[in-house]
Amino acid sequence: MTKIIVNGREVEADPQKPLIAACHEHGEHVPHYCYHPGLSVVGSCRICQVEVKQGEMPARVVAACRTPVAEGMVVNTESQGAHDSRRECLEFLLKNHPLDCPICDKAGECTLQDYSFQEAQAEGRTSEPRRKLEKRKDLGDVILLDQERCILCSRCVRFMDEVPKSPQLCISGRGSHSVVETWQDAPLTGNYQGNLADVCPVGALTLKDFRFQARVWNLTRVPSTCSECSRGCSISVEVLRDGEVKRMRPRPNEDVNGYWMCDHGRFSEGELNRSDRMGPAAMRNDAGQLEAADPHDALRVVRNLLSIQSNALFLASPYLTLEEGEAFSQLAKSCSTQAAFFSPEPNELGDDVLHTGDPCPNRRGLQEAGLKPMDSEEWAAASASADCVLLVGERLLDMLGDEALDALPTAQRLVVMECRTSNHPAIDIAMGVPNRVERSGTWINVDGTPGAIRAARSAPQGVRTIVDLLGSLTSASGQPEEALSS
Amino acid sequence: MVIVKRKTLTLAERLYLPEILRGMSITFGKMFKPKITRQYPEEPLPTNEVTRGQPRLRALVDGNLACVSCGLCEAACPAYAITIDGQETDRFIEREPEKFEIDMLRCILCGFCEEACPKEAIFMSTELELAGFTRASFKYGIDKLKRSTEELAPRMEYIKRINQRW
Repeated sequence: MTKIIVNGREVEADPQKPLIAACHEHGEHVPHYCYHPGLSVVGSCRICQVEVKQGEMPARVVAACRTPVAEGMVVNTESQGAHDSRRECLEFLLKNHPLDCPICDKAGECTLQDYSFQEAQAEGRTSEPRRKLEKRKDLGDVILLDQERCILCSRCVRFMDEVPKSPQLCISGRGSHSVVETWQDAPLTGNYQGNLADVCPVGALTLKDFRFQARVWNLTRVPSTCSECSRGCSISVEVLRDGEVKRMRPRPNEDVNGYWMCDHGRFSEGELNRSDRMGPAAMRNDAGQLEAADPHDALRVVRNLLSIQSNALFLASPYLTLEEGEAFSQLAKSCSTQAAFFSPEPNELGDDVLHTGDPCPNRRGLQEAGLKPMDSEEWAAASASADCVLLVGERLLDMLGDEALDALPTAQRLVVMECRTSNHPAIDIAMGVPNRVERSGTWINVDGTPGAIRAARSAPQGVRTIVDLLGSLTSASGQPEEALSS
Repeated sequence: MVIVKRKTLTLAERLYLPEILRGMSITFGKMFKPKITRQYPEEPLPTNEVTRGQPRLRALVDGNLACVSCGLCEAACPAYAITIDGQETDRFIEREPEKFEIDMLRCILCGFCEEACPKEAIFMSTELELAGFTRASFKYGIDKLKRSTEELAPRMEYIKRINQRW
């Protein structure tokens, strides 16, 4: 470690990292556009200028991202010279930047906006018209490019080169004719395009999925964990007005995902926003229809069912948290049987960047909780002989498919605790549960690193958590009904 | 206990009739003087461009709203009366409001929305009357809020004029 002085404070800095990283690490914010801690350094935007005094040399203004840390450096991030240089850089960056902040999706989280407000002068000094470029350039299914807003920081180009290692973007043209492009306007491909919208410091690269969906300051951000593979990337779930999940973005986490996430996980909010949510409870009535019921009654019937059964099958969804897995395992134990979780086939999305291809986000956690994995063949064999089946957790009905339920014996009782409604005739009792943005818990990823999921919005009215439901079944299973009246 | 001392009446007061005549003289005197009350619903209040009535949205000449649903009025609103959802357009202006809702029961007519608007799209109109039978009927959508540029022109001119002061 090297000792440097930042704004009068002696700090220890990693000599492998640039000066800007040392400043950020010790709480001194230095503005930056082209610098990104997860990418290589180019030093093209020049906004990160700070004043550095080294040895006997007079103090001079340098770009903090391009300057290695050296012993005895005296850094001043707030000197007049540094501020002047930044203001002049900003004037050039803003010279051709369109004034469409009211329309731009980045407004509110745009660093060009922030630093202009902090550093730049309020009025432009040029009288020439701003350059006119393509405002809605289609870059494939995920990304839309607004070339006018681009400040040519080249973060997107470096991202495509360095992280998914599929160089597809380039900066073509010279001087004020420079634009970000793909070769012959080919659409972008790959599973990591969504990160381009995150690395873009301005609103040039935006997600088609999030385009004009919400103003970013209206979103509630909750740190959580991605559910789509066993990598368990740290994400932040962004919810609009306690309702729809509008987007999911990666949260920096050195141990798991660095700064990135894949598109498969990023665009999985459709499942979370579905409108056909299960109510608190439904039971099959005499006419053979599933009818909304009092959850207490439904729980009482399930308790009785579990107390009289001889051969029950307990199957959990792979999205159950560690805590829910424990509760499920306890319940199965109290009914002297073995709990299992459904383990779908690995998908073909696995790569050597982040995606593991295993769709169970909590495989290790559930195995630790005492659940055994069960694939579709094992399920078919086990469910055919069981006289009662308990399915718990979100997306389990979709994973099993209607055919699997069609194949169940007619005399069998089927209890489902799911997020979505289903009118499948095999279901006898259905209870709603919160989905993964409405409850909290822990998932353990493929490397054994725990990742917390946290409730980002409230669950539908009257819906109780899985731990709560399973707990109330466990405490009473096998006992006479009189003892259970709550 | 408080003992209130009553004033003893004079002879003229006890005679009753002089006091009645004095009162009647005031009544009949006022009856023939010019009226200063306003017959309100029939005679509406005079308004001008300074009147800060209910907020209204300005439509452009082509009929589209000037609003780009940037959400600044929503953020500025101290009463949380405004809710906006945007959508994409095919026009040069890339975004327009899909839903623009002002809850008139929450609106306190402060004019912050008008001040925040970067697109001259929302103005305080001269419309002051507000009545309805249900709470839902006070949630004004685009259909109820849309006004032509001519209707809001005096207020627009006034806002431009006072903004020039600083």
